[in-house]
Amino acid sequence: MSSKGWMPLDNAALIFPAIRRKKWNNVFRQSVTLQEDIDPQLLQQAVDELMPRFPSFYVRLRQGMFWYYLQQVDAPPRVAEDYAYPLTFMTKKEMGRCCLRVLYYKNRLAVEFFHALSDGGGALMFTKTLAAKYISLRYGVSIPPTDGVLDASLPPQKEELEDSFQKHAAPFAAYCPEAEAYHLPGKRVLGSFLHLITGVIPADRLHDVARSYGVTVTVFLSAVMAESIVAMQDQRVPLKRQKQVKITIPVDLRRVFHSRTLRNFALTVNPGVDPRLGTYTLQEICESFSHQLSAENTPQRMAGRIAQNVVPQKNPLLKGVPVIIKSPVMRAVYNRRGEKLGCLNISNLGVARLPEAMAPFVERMEFIIGVQYSYPNNCSVITCNGVTCINIIRSTQEPELERRFFSRLVELGVPVRIESNQEE
Amino acid sequence: MYCVKCGVQLPEGAKKCPLCSTPVWCPDTKAEPASTYSDRYPIISRQRRITVMSLITVALLAAMVACLSICLHITGKVGWSAYVLSGCLCFYTVCLLPFWFKRPHPMVFVPVAFGAALALLLFINWYTGGHWFWPFAFPVTMIVAALTIGALALYRYVKGGTLFITGGLLMALGGACMLIELFTHLVFSAPMFGWSLYGAVVFGIFGGFLILSGIIRPLREHLERTFFI
Repeated sequence: MSSKGWMPLDNAALIFPAIRRKKWNNVFRQSVTLQEDIDPQLLQQAVDELMPRFPSFYVRLRQGMFWYYLQQVDAPPRVAEDYAYPLTFMTKKEMGRCCLRVLYYKNRLAVEFFHALSDGGGALMFTKTLAAKYISLRYGVSIPPTDGVLDASLPPQKEELEDSFQKHAAPFAAYCPEAEAYHLPGKRVLGSFLHLITGVIPADRLHDVARSYGVTVTVFLSAVMAESIVAMQDQRVPLKRQKQVKITIPVDLRRVFHSRTLRNFALTVNPGVDPRLGTYTLQEICESFSHQLSAENTPQRMAGRIAQNVVPQKNPLLKGVPVIIKSPVMRAVYNRRGEKLGCLNISNLGVARLPEAMAPFVERMEFIIGVQYSYPNNCSVITCNGVTCINIIRSTQEPELERRFFSRLVELGVPVRIESNQEE
Repeated sequence: MYCVKCGVQLPEGAKKCPLCSTPVWCPDTKAEPASTYSDRYPIISRQRRITVMSLITVALLAAMVACLSICLHITGKVGWSAYVLSGCLCFYTVCLLPFWFKRPHPMVFVPVAFGAALALLLFINWYTGGHWFWPFAFPVTMIVAALTIGALALYRYVKGGTLFITGGLLMALGGACMLIELFTHLVFSAPMFGWSLYGAVVFGIFGGFLILSGIIRPLREHLERTFFI
């Protein structure tokens, strides 16, 4: 952050302002459900008090001559009551005021982030710190800065604001062309309403079932999802014209490179199966996904893939091109590559641990990512206080994928409680 | 409460399963399902496309009427205002007409735009008593139209092969330059093979390079890595 309160976008964030559409952009949400109803005034106070600690979150998006950049806002955003559906469209005008929204409804506080600010891992630290601040203001408890809750009394650390992509890029780019994936069909809903179905699952039961297949929870859920999509494609597309079924899984690079940045630092891996080559059992999909993820998820391979993205950013020819020309080109590149490599995202933030003093006040946490521009479903997972919340969001009318996915989990012995924002 | 079809647990008081819409019959429960989201909808500013288009149309019509009346007042006949009026109509058809529609289809409006351009040229040719429309303006406009509509159709309806399509189109553009100069030579007796040769060579080299990079995979991958395209 410069002395004038602006900072350049990190390497991953460069794409998000460029690919914004008239009615779509890349926003995600994290929420904390407490035991008692939220007091909006105290929540506003907590938001205000965290502003000096998280300068990279209290920012607005500005357009420069050659790049977009983030500028610190003069006043923190006002908290507001939640909407009828999550991730309502964040307009350009709104992003010009602040790229962050703080919402509340009953006993839930939610934060919605434009993806240029941070990824799920970085944002989780902000959300947890905000919830901790609110709880300490409301109940007068002292919450120690552990388990991802940051010390609000300290100034922001330099390494929290760094663009870790630049630091960890390999000298050479790793390049691996990938096949296109099948995109789920569906009749889009009118307007911008997003349907959300939440599966609430006991974390230990899900973990046990995943372990019985010898894989992690992320791999297990991805495999079940892939199995559901394979069945859906089988029903609709003749075998000859079928495409690969691939799941886009974001990998938090903070764990790989031991980074402490609060900004974007994640890459995606697209494990998949090719239905044209034969049928697969769930065990086979689990094993295949596990191997594919292990092969990709190494520091060397990731550094090479980071370099692939960093090299064009450093190219002097591209640097000098005005943003009004660069943005449509980036959008065209994104259209050609960005969303064609996966059927949908499964973003698992893992277990969100809370400080002991905070845990009794928290019922659960949720994490929701928006739909992509070209495919209508996305899935996000988070585990907190022994409860795993699987959120599947969709912009289409039929909940076929959700039905197949959750019923399959029930078949496999995982109890699922369903919640939805649909009207009865 | 569980859904009998999916086996998932449902919230207390749910009327139907959100996954399969199977109605839930539970006579003992009188509780209403707890809402997880509020009933507040975001205020989405309505697109004022129709209003804006109406205003622009009225402003353009007013300008045309003003032009015509000034011309009539000064010269007593339609005179030069005919060019302004026909130019305005052509501009309106090419640039503004598509915006009346929510999703203007380029395969409809691009040919319409070329039709409007041809009509304007034909009118000017007739109004000035010229003889250049059929031997020159018509074939040249048709060449440009064929190239544009062809490019549009190929990019829109052919999946893959972008490098080959772009390369082929650039080479065709080079050829079109030479054809246009040939018509200039035939109609206006301009010297042959002047500027068009440069265009043909440059477009030919670029087009050939793109086709070559479509064929040679290592070259294509190197370019993709370097320029992220």
